[in-house]
Amino acid sequence: MPDTVWKKCVVVAGLAVFLLSFPLLVRDAFLLRLFTEALMWIGLAITWDLIAGYIGYLNFGHGVFFGFGAYTTTILFTKANLPFALSLAIGGGVAALAALIIGWPVLRLRGAYFAIATWAFGRAIMQLALVLDVTGGPDGMRLPPFLNPHFFAYVMLALVGATYIVLWVLLERAPFGLKLKAIREDESGSLAIGLNPAKLKLQALVLSAAPAGLIGGVYAYWITFIDPSSVFGDLVTDQAVVMAVFGGLGTLIGPAIGAVFFLTFKTYFWAYLSDFQVLYLIILGVAIAACVVFLPDGIWGAVTRRQEGRRALRKGLSLNQRAAAPPAHPSAAGTSVRPSVRPRDGEEE
Amino acid sequence: MAEPILRLENVSKAFGGLKAVNQVSFDVSEGEIVGLIGPNGAGKTTVFNLISGYDPPTEGSISFNGCEISGRKPYELAAVGIGRTFQIVKPFAGLSVLDNVTVASYLRYPAQRDARRKAREVLEFIGMGDRADMPAAGLTLAGRKRLEIGKALALEPKLILLDEVVAGLNPTEADQTVQLILSIRKSGVTTLIVEHIMRVIMGISHRVVVLNYGSLIAQGAPEEVARNPQVIEAYLGESK
Repeated sequence: MPDTVWKKCVVVAGLAVFLLSFPLLVRDAFLLRLFTEALMWIGLAITWDLIAGYIGYLNFGHGVFFGFGAYTTTILFTKANLPFALSLAIGGGVAALAALIIGWPVLRLRGAYFAIATWAFGRAIMQLALVLDVTGGPDGMRLPPFLNPHFFAYVMLALVGATYIVLWVLLERAPFGLKLKAIREDESGSLAIGLNPAKLKLQALVLSAAPAGLIGGVYAYWITFIDPSSVFGDLVTDQAVVMAVFGGLGTLIGPAIGAVFFLTFKTYFWAYLSDFQVLYLIILGVAIAACVVFLPDGIWGAVTRRQEGRRALRKGLSLNQRAAAPPAHPSAAGTSVRPSVRPRDGEEE
Repeated sequence: MAEPILRLENVSKAFGGLKAVNQVSFDVSEGEIVGLIGPNGAGKTTVFNLISGYDPPTEGSISFNGCEISGRKPYELAAVGIGRTFQIVKPFAGLSVLDNVTVASYLRYPAQRDARRKAREVLEFIGMGDRADMPAAGLTLAGRKRLEIGKALALEPKLILLDEVVAGLNPTEADQTVQLILSIRKSGVTTLIVEHIMRVIMGISHRVVVLNYGSLIAQGAPEEVARNPQVIEAYLGESK
């Protein structure tokens, strides 16, 4: 169908032209800020979705990587006087390293256990940032202001654009994406076809953490102030979660759409209803619940009739009870004692 | 007879105090179809799990092509050349039939294009070429069992373990699967098969290994085994 390929090319080219020219054409600082922030959330939502939508692991500590990037970049930039680009690169590296260290134990857990463990890790690291001297504790850290919104718009565009393209190639074109989906569909079955889920999950987590760290570093320099709650707080993860789930898990375009939609909503809500900011958090919570119940495939899933979203959620929330019924192996004598299929790094629930 | 491709020597597996498999030894030679039979709870699936690396044996040794493989991971064994299916089928339900086989093909064909070509070949071989783009969740039980075989074949195994791939199918579907097993064997893949349907196992196996309560009670040609009093007793109870 060369017709649809051609259409896709036009859409992609049009989008690229729009994204590249938007910061040049727009004089309004508010709109430019919205543009940069939208890109940032697209980056956070798609990197969260890499773990949630493609493998079915709900990482409630994704903000940790963002925070690691932000703090590492800030500390190296302001205290060690390294150039910003180098500080940023190291920030991304530290986030990737954190993923390796956190992922190694935590990725052995499944379903809600994984969600709880990652959330707890996030909390622990936020507390650490609150008590350490090098992070400035609860006072946070200031960066020298570099008041060039166009610079940040383009840096964020380059960073998130590159992340999107790399993830698209790896997940939608290369074998990597299909391997991850196989793990999502049946982790123990994936062992039999030569996949090593422990290794693949760790690779994916590192791949999800590094861009989140880089985005954190750029965010810090852009906003010029960070503190534990703004970069390690639950809100970073939670908003990425809502955006990804609302947009559609297991795709890249879905979370991107969700990010733009939610950020626009949030910005106008805060701008016009600033007295009701608490209400925003309530709406956020209700939105997560409502999406899971009524729109498990997200808007993109509903439009394209892809059901990957609900499959990811089912696994992530341990709702896939198929393999949990133990006496299902009539010919295995051991089943009444323990299920006989027990791979080392965990069974399907 | 050729050199054994698979050799189990005094293999045992205990789950807590329960010996699911007890001192089992048998060989499978290259090119053979060996049937593994026994009443419910005899330990057949546990033997499969031991051979395919899903459970490490408590004692004993399992060697494949002369190399010790006990305790190695399932994905390592897939790379060595052992493919398996599951009694409780494990298709990747959210993926298409083609994607299911493609993801298994990556083991031998890491490049996307080659893996796709291999997957299409396998689908043609198992007679599912027309259902390539269907979601695996939409298949019938027969289709899912066949897809399981396809996924195992995409690994280009030297030895394939088939766990009850005929059970639950109607006679027509069963015959098709039997034909498929025979053509797998013709393509040079050694087959170890667990099956409850005696008509099938006695018809296609070169040799039969009988387990009862985790122990090997008989092995040999199908007709010999069928006359073995211990086997008759295990299936029908003691004769007075």
